[in-house]
Amino acid sequence: MSLVGLSRWQFAITVMFHMAFPAITVGLSIFLCVIYGRYWRSGNPVHLQMFRFWRRIFAVGFAIGVVAGVVITFEMGLNWGGYAAKTGPIIGPIIGMEVVTAFAVEAGFIGVLLYGDGRVRQRTMFLATLMVSIGTILSSTWIIAANSWMQTPAGYRIVDGQYQPVDWLKVIFNPSFVWRWWHMLGGVLLSAAFVVAGIGAWYLRKGRAMAFARRSVSIGLGVAAIVIPLQIYLGDAVAGHELPLQPSKLAALEGNWAPGNTGWVLFDIPDQQAARNLAELNIPCFGSVVNHDLSCKTAPPGLSSFPAADRPNVAATFWGFRIMFFASLFMFGAAFWATVLRMRRRLWTARRFHRFLVWLSPVGIVAILGGWVTAEAGRQPWLVYGQLRTSDAVSALAPGEVWFSVIGFSVLYVVMFVAYLAYLVRSVRIGPERDHPSTEDDQPVLEPREAVAT
Amino acid sequence: MITSLWVLEVLVCFLMYAVLDGYDLGVGVAVLFERDGGRKRSMVESVAVGWDGNETWLVLGVISLWAGFPLAFGTILPHAYLPLVVVLLSLIVRGVSVELVSQSSSLTRRWTTAFGWASLLASFAQGFALGTLTSLGSMNLFCVLSGLTVTAAYLALGYAYTKRKSSGSMRKKAGRRGRIATAVMAALLIEVLFSISSTAAPLNLHSPARVSAFAVLLLFAVGGVVAALVTFTRDRRPSADTVPIGGLIVAVVSVLLALVVARYPVLLPPNLTVDAAVSPRNTMLFVLIGIGLLNMPLVLAYNVFAHRVFRGKLEGGDS
Repeated sequence: MSLVGLSRWQFAITVMFHMAFPAITVGLSIFLCVIYGRYWRSGNPVHLQMFRFWRRIFAVGFAIGVVAGVVITFEMGLNWGGYAAKTGPIIGPIIGMEVVTAFAVEAGFIGVLLYGDGRVRQRTMFLATLMVSIGTILSSTWIIAANSWMQTPAGYRIVDGQYQPVDWLKVIFNPSFVWRWWHMLGGVLLSAAFVVAGIGAWYLRKGRAMAFARRSVSIGLGVAAIVIPLQIYLGDAVAGHELPLQPSKLAALEGNWAPGNTGWVLFDIPDQQAARNLAELNIPCFGSVVNHDLSCKTAPPGLSSFPAADRPNVAATFWGFRIMFFASLFMFGAAFWATVLRMRRRLWTARRFHRFLVWLSPVGIVAILGGWVTAEAGRQPWLVYGQLRTSDAVSALAPGEVWFSVIGFSVLYVVMFVAYLAYLVRSVRIGPERDHPSTEDDQPVLEPREAVAT
Repeated sequence: MITSLWVLEVLVCFLMYAVLDGYDLGVGVAVLFERDGGRKRSMVESVAVGWDGNETWLVLGVISLWAGFPLAFGTILPHAYLPLVVVLLSLIVRGVSVELVSQSSSLTRRWTTAFGWASLLASFAQGFALGTLTSLGSMNLFCVLSGLTVTAAYLALGYAYTKRKSSGSMRKKAGRRGRIATAVMAALLIEVLFSISSTAAPLNLHSPARVSAFAVLLLFAVGGVVAALVTFTRDRRPSADTVPIGGLIVAVVSVLLALVVARYPVLLPPNLTVDAAVSPRNTMLFVLIGIGLLNMPLVLAYNVFAHRVFRGKLEGGDS
């Protein structure tokens, strides 16, 4: 494999592993903040129980997200030295703002959020949860700003091959930023909502901790029912604002080689070399409908009008998009079904629906990963769309060095993923019963950290 | 002017990192030398509340380097590729194992061991990476020496921190071992200073101003080390807990500053200087105001807050 190919694989592996964790923890941190706020106001022990249980799920995921995120920062210089040197004046300050306004805030208050319970005043506890959730939102804001600049660059000039800022407002509020930001926020809220609803539904099925389980399912589904219609609209808006500026991505994600297909490709096995689809399933006219034209006349562009060197990988872009899209249909279906059940007052007795929810727990995370694959693979072969080629940005490393890191990260990430899953399953099995304030006395072994004094 | 201010900012980040993550990596290494399970656990927990904030300084330093000196960032990091990858891998294991241990997962013992070894590897690889930058990318004995020195320094800081946070026999033990670690660190440092002149990038001490600054900083370092050595095993006076860690911080900071003085303005030997690598004015103004002026004080405040909330002695361990 070429150095560029290997470096790209490493980045894909590390960044997708990283993203799986913020995908849950950003939404969960907001959830924790709201739940603690309600406990602070109401004093209802179930709220404290919910806060403590979900914090357990949040804690380890947050730590993995942080350390896996540090890796990404280093990789910009380690593996993509050309990118670092050329885009540094623009991307560097944006990520720098992320570190000081988000990373540092989260790091400063996460200790209190995780370990301050019962040792600091409730007001301080609430403040810490609030700061952490603000931090996670700000963090995604800056990251989306930087990534959107790479998708739709604006406000810069090129001096000696280096991208230099001319107008910071245009750099940050580049054409795709605002819509992508809302879309990302919707995504993290949905993925957390389905994790919360799914795990809650598992307890419903087991008949355990019913007050806790009902509230969790209810909140998760409520958030999903509000957000999913908005999210589908936002996804369409992102496409409308970004894809006219990135026609090759649009062609790849729709799986069209030749121009003029007014249909919509449902299933596709593309052959990148031969520039055609080996097998495809086309729904007539639907491609035009997707483009807001019901008369069946509008066709998205075809990839064959781009030089072969400028084409993104169709399989990755197409399937990344389809996975996100189909996942969103599942989420919509679940939210719709739940609303019907709730109106017929059968939400708590519909056991098949509960099982469906359990299986659906990771659906939001899958959708987010699919969306990122579309965004990133579809932007290729560019790092900065239309400007900087990926192959011109890679560090001149010895292939052995990159093999070492690819294998090292892959093995370690598999171990970490298994460890997190095991932790998750164990925490869920033990359950929220021990987190209820009334059981505080009989849990000497499992209550974390009594060792540190205030 | 803008350039020097930003050099200062980057420097502050890395010094903060060396001291803060230094103590918490050191506590991690010290876990390997501790047999008692209860004490091991309270050592891990003394790190759990702060490691995230301490690591912020590494990320901030790296990003500040990237934003301010993009050319240097894209050149320096690939130079030390392998040791830096090892640093990253071990920081991952560390961060995850801290949380798994303190959230009472299963296999707590194994995760504690993983935490210790990862801390050791991270410390050594950080020193090794520093050595690589002085040796112009080649790996040699000097890199190993540099790795050992950094590990010893972190270990000494870790024991000083543990002494401050613990009581009873745990505190006594930390004092005894901390003194040994400090002595080893001092011996290794002397060896580093002597052998650095025979590396590919010797120190630049060609003007009287540099020589005197270098000498004064080394004097500070000697003072710090001596103060730590003398007070590590004391346990009566109230200063017995603060002087060892204070002295070590002074020593670590002044040695690093002395090396910077003898290198400035070269970022990467032999000839990549700050002026050649600096970002355009528009970028520098943004980072100076946005990051340096408005946010650095806040980051410091968060750090102080995080340490103040959990101040005081550990309860576990023993009495």
